[in-house]
Amino acid sequence: MKGITNVTAVELKLIMRDPMSAFFALAFPAIMLWVKMRSGKPLPGGLPAVDATVPMLSVFVIGLAALVILPATLAGYRERRVLKRLRATPASPTMLFSAQWAAHMLLAALGTMLLIVIGLAAYGLTAPANAGNVLLAWILSALSLSSIGLLVGALVPSGRAATVIGLSLFFPMGFLSGAIIPRETMSGSMRAIGDLTPMAPAVQAIRDGWAGDAMSPITLGVMVAISIVAGGVALRAFRW
Amino acid sequence: MTVIEIEGLRKSYKSGRVLDSVSLKVEHGEIFGIAGPNGAGKTTVVECASGLRRRDGGTLRVLGLDPQSDRRELAQRIGVQLQEAALPDAIKVGEALRMYASFYDAPADWRELMDEWGLADKKRAGFASLSGGWKQRLFVALALVGNPEVVFLDELTTGLDPSARRMTWGLIRNMRERGVTVVLVTHFMDEAEALCDRIAIIDRGRVIAEGSPRELITKGRSDSLEDAYFALTGRETA
Repeated sequence: MKGITNVTAVELKLIMRDPMSAFFALAFPAIMLWVKMRSGKPLPGGLPAVDATVPMLSVFVIGLAALVILPATLAGYRERRVLKRLRATPASPTMLFSAQWAAHMLLAALGTMLLIVIGLAAYGLTAPANAGNVLLAWILSALSLSSIGLLVGALVPSGRAATVIGLSLFFPMGFLSGAIIPRETMSGSMRAIGDLTPMAPAVQAIRDGWAGDAMSPITLGVMVAISIVAGGVALRAFRW
Repeated sequence: MTVIEIEGLRKSYKSGRVLDSVSLKVEHGEIFGIAGPNGAGKTTVVECASGLRRRDGGTLRVLGLDPQSDRRELAQRIGVQLQEAALPDAIKVGEALRMYASFYDAPADWRELMDEWGLADKKRAGFASLSGGWKQRLFVALALVGNPEVVFLDELTTGLDPSARRMTWGLIRNMRERGVTVVLVTHFMDEAEALCDRIAIIDRGRVIAEGSPRELITKGRSDSLEDAYFALTGRETA
């Protein structure tokens, strides 16, 4: 246990020391919130914009940490032979990956908390109707999206390539799944395409939890399935 | 006491055969040099012996363990400095030592190690800001942080200026004085002559000569180890 907390703490510090990662995961979503709230009319159906935007952008933050930053870190470590050096130690691969995962998800948690604090302080955000469900949905979102990020990080040879692939997964998914534009304002066909992306169940579940709607077992099940399949393939395919 | 026993080690990559049949023995407490031209397979020997690569054939025992099947157990007892391996740019010297120490069951005191290797002033320096000599010092300290019985050093002094190289030699002798067995891969014959108790010269995937520097010089009918090396490998330009 001592090992994993130590590695997680070091890895989180390393991410925060990288100005790009810190900006993307913390400042960028906060700026997005500000931009969105400048024209923040209530959504069709009457939901105040902030109550949809904060849950949506929390998926945006998870996506950035899980699909862009996590694979770039792993592939960069492979490229620079940081992984190879680690492999010559008794540290277990499971521990090292768990620590990487935990560090990136802590980053996403910080980004989410920042959004919530700004939402509460500046825009009259309503507290989540079911905080337990939001937490569960958040964790499953983090697990499912980062298992995809882990898969990219497992296969791509360089940090730069991982960033490109990560961004080209992240932005289309973000736009189509309702993490950037509210689902209520999207056309039916866009929503149908978006529903096929692994980010859609994350947006759905976190928003349901926030609004106090019942969470669909199918949505949660899809996220569990993605985590197991993508995560399993990633661990098998991983090259040092 | 024999610490490393290699018999008929074979290894091929996609590009072709690298190790044909390498056999050698390293005794406890010695500095054992592995020399040879580029592409001779020196690094592959070290990587097989430290459990980083799977061998195609032959037997290999380090501290009585098989590096493949007993990798984790062996990793607790050896230290490795790899060619071209790196640390994350932003990691600080103290953080790296502390983190690596946490991987071992019975690590050395990383603070003591940091003082001993003159890294205390650099404790808060980021890896990317260190010069080549300081990076190598840190790599050696990381190789020692697990209190290893055997240390593999792969081209430790390549890229160092002459004074940093000499300093590193002192540090390697220091390890031997503490009873650590050192396997040193090197290009430099002056280094091998100054440091090593015994040397194996590897060429085209085989050990072509093995012995103390004195024995190799006699065998090559030369005045220096460098001349003997050329006589034994039969090449002036590698």
